[in-house]
Amino acid sequence: MEVNLIVETLKFLVLGMSTVFMFLALMVVVLELQAKIIMKYFPPPKENSLVSNSTQELFQKGNFSVVAAIAASIRSYKKKSK
Amino acid sequence: MKKMIVGVLLLLGLAMIPLSLSASDVAKENLNQDYKSKSVTELFVSLYESTGINAMINPVEGMVMHGLPISTFNQGAGRVVMMGICFLLIYLAIAKGFEPLLLIPIAFGGFLANIPVADIAGPEGFLGILFNMGISSGLFPLMIFMGVGAMTDFGPLIANPKTALLGGAAQLGIFGTIVGAAVLTEYTGFINFSLKDACAIGIIGGADGPTSIFVATRLAPDLLGAIAVAAYSYMALVPIIQPPIMRALTTKEDRLIKMEQLREVSKIEKILFPITVMILCILMLPDATPLIGALAFGNLARESGVVKRLSDTMENALINIVTIFLGLSVGSKLAAEKFLVPETLGILFLGLAAFSMGTAGGVLMAKLMNKFSKHKVNPLIGSAGVSAVPMAARVSNKEGMKEDPTNMLLMHAMGPNVAGVIGSAVAAGVLLSIFK
Repeated sequence: MEVNLIVETLKFLVLGMSTVFMFLALMVVVLELQAKIIMKYFPPPKENSLVSNSTQELFQKGNFSVVAAIAASIRSYKKKSK
Repeated sequence: MKKMIVGVLLLLGLAMIPLSLSASDVAKENLNQDYKSKSVTELFVSLYESTGINAMINPVEGMVMHGLPISTFNQGAGRVVMMGICFLLIYLAIAKGFEPLLLIPIAFGGFLANIPVADIAGPEGFLGILFNMGISSGLFPLMIFMGVGAMTDFGPLIANPKTALLGGAAQLGIFGTIVGAAVLTEYTGFINFSLKDACAIGIIGGADGPTSIFVATRLAPDLLGAIAVAAYSYMALVPIIQPPIMRALTTKEDRLIKMEQLREVSKIEKILFPITVMILCILMLPDATPLIGALAFGNLARESGVVKRLSDTMENALINIVTIFLGLSVGSKLAAEKFLVPETLGILFLGLAAFSMGTAGGVLMAKLMNKFSKHKVNPLIGSAGVSAVPMAARVSNKEGMKEDPTNMLLMHAMGPNVAGVIGSAVAAGVLLSIFK
């Protein structure tokens, strides 16, 4: 039987595109689900645990005592060096 | 006493001389048995007969090499034409910077393969040995995929998985081109592609060199040279082919869309990603697991962070070594008798069509997604779905910045870009499964 090449390849087009989309759509769903589970049970470590040294950042967070301490130490250092 | 011993030794030595002399005489006779005395002219003529000039000027009628008849044209002028093409590729790689890492080994391999007499690309020549070792067996493309896995950060895709669909739509290039190849076969008299050939050509649209080679060796080994050259040269031409299509399919408002900043992806998500993709692949399409498996292995080595030495080797030393071998052995398929056929012209034309269709597919898919989703996607990143990492993503970024210099699309475009790699591997699996 003569195979009609064009019809055959159109079938491949339908098969191929739907498989690729199915695969990637499934991947999207799984990845989103996975992200939700990970966020819930293994939340990323909080930023606070990192020691921040910038006075501006501390100021914004309302850590005035630390800012004051840094300012005082700078002033005393400048006095000494004079 | 001493004198006695010395004297005896001397005598023994003298007695040995005639013995060894007669032995070397016998050897000489053996050596010269297949040599007849020749005059100086005869010597020069026989030297001339073994030169490349003679082999090209006086082709042998009806020559058959490794089971393949070679026309007189392909023994002479054809080789010169092919060497010219190889030098053109070398020029493009050096002067224009077209994928030099691959085009230089491929072009030089092609140059070596077209040398008459030496038969470097034959099964005994070193290119032939490399070819049988790594390409016929499908080994080299997989090793390249390992390196690609070790180099790729899937973070942008994990942060915004939806963009993977753009990488899927861009695979339209692959399957559209298969239809195109069938149309060419039906409606032109001189180009003849079988269904397998058509599928191997279509995979050029995946814009992924190793995948193209992997599929071509399985489905159409004869067309490998032309397919590899088309795939790599069009990948180099992505910055020229894509922008006009992208601009034609989008409006100014489309191109100005700003996307939300990507969330940060935790390490554990990145480690789980290759394993998740692997499991999906095992369940749905085991035919794609060689490619996806190598990619996942490389990526796991990278993201786990505990085997730095291994991932470092995969993304540098190993991939470089394999690239040299892969390039040279692909080049061996640029021999005149395999490349100078009308089919090559068809492949070059179809490859271009494949890239254009893939680009259009990605962009249109992005526009479609904007119709249904609240989170807008800039359609310019759709074109990055045709793998070609990271060139296609850079093109998206550049086009976006042309409209609005503050609009950085690079990271957003990396999502569909790496999804395109997975998408074309899946498409390759589908094609391989059809012909099982």
